[in-house]
Amino acid sequence: MQENLQIIRIIKKSFRGKSILIEDFNSDRIIDRIKLPNDNGEIVLPIGHYALINGKSDKKYKFPTIVIYGLGSCIALILFDEKNKLCGMSHVLLPKSNLRKIINYPHKYADLSVQYLLKEFLDRGAQKELIKAIIVGGSKIFDLANNVIGEENIKIITDELDKYGIKIIKKSIGGMQGRIIKFNTRNFSVLVKLTGDNKFHEL
Amino acid sequence: MIKISVEKNKSGDIILTPEQLDILKELGNIGSGHAITALSELINDRVDVSLTAVYLIPFWKIPDLFENPNTEAFGIYSEIRDKPDLSIVQIFTKVSIINLVNILNDEDQISIEDVRSIQELDDFTRSIISEIGNILAGNYANALANLLSIKLVPGVPKLALDNLNAMLDTIIAKYSINSDYTIIVKTKIRVKEIKLNGIICLVPSMNILKELFKILNIKYDANI
Repeated sequence: MQENLQIIRIIKKSFRGKSILIEDFNSDRIIDRIKLPNDNGEIVLPIGHYALINGKSDKKYKFPTIVIYGLGSCIALILFDEKNKLCGMSHVLLPKSNLRKIINYPHKYADLSVQYLLKEFLDRGAQKELIKAIIVGGSKIFDLANNVIGEENIKIITDELDKYGIKIIKKSIGGMQGRIIKFNTRNFSVLVKLTGDNKFHEL
Repeated sequence: MIKISVEKNKSGDIILTPEQLDILKELGNIGSGHAITALSELINDRVDVSLTAVYLIPFWKIPDLFENPNTEAFGIYSEIRDKPDLSIVQIFTKVSIINLVNILNDEDQISIEDVRSIQELDDFTRSIISEIGNILAGNYANALANLLSIKLVPGVPKLALDNLNAMLDTIIAKYSINSDYTIIVKTKIRVKEIKLNGIICLVPSMNILKELFKILNIKYDANI
């Protein structure tokens, strides 16, 4: 395993879909590289996918920056437990999963992503009371009366986080503009740029 | 070049046969053909149109169908009245729309600086863009309506000027509720002389497809 490469692994779980999992070198999980960093050294997170960074590694580890270029009605959900060196981000599209019988991409849904991310965290030694959340997105790009997906996403994610007692410490949500988000997995800082802005600002 | 892409369907929920894909490609060619005829009459210039490509792909790969999804673009989104599951989506570069508007509006020429957001556009410019969208979507839908002998009238087009990926979220969300796979019937439009570069897409839900195939008397899989 070369230390200067960002390694992405797919974990094939019991559901048939795939997720992007970034794990430390000590892991003995299945390795299947599907997503390499872009030219800027960033990992672009597709819709319905998640990334998980486990910083508990003895070896020198390059923490990737996880980005989404063009967050509209989708939500970027970030959880982190600083003390236990865990963080993750999912790219959520829809509020509810109840219309589907088979779920291939749980992180596509606001009502599943929180609990699935939480489980991944707890499986790796996170302490629930130390986990914090940051949410970004949920805007309304096309001004249609029935275009409430962004709003609903925000509502369901907020409700879910509340249900599990996870505090939202920062957010950049709603409005009518798209966003670019960059999540630094080393120091858990989040940079956001709205479409109309010239610069990124730190949340 | 004719392009038909079929994603290997691991989740097993949607399957389209080559014949069905061919039909969709033809519908796209006919629809876009009429749309660009109308456009070329409008601007008195030749419009190049690519052959239509049909994509049956996982929702998260939709941004990959567009060159530079991480750039600002104009989006014009029309839902068909009484068939909201069928939409026509048009994507144009900012420069395209500006040049087009300036051709159609002799008096007040606009420039890039004037076009920062839809809200900031002056009413007249906004209505021109809306009308362009209307004409293209209307002619596209009309061609299909005549072919299928059904009524297909696009509603008032909704405009957006934003990062293309962000705009696509709305569309991907809508067509991803019942399936992880989406069908996009995509045609490229180009007018070199005025740097017009655009894409016009027909996006049908699976239910609409069932209806279309039924009208055309095409056997369809129970999987749809």
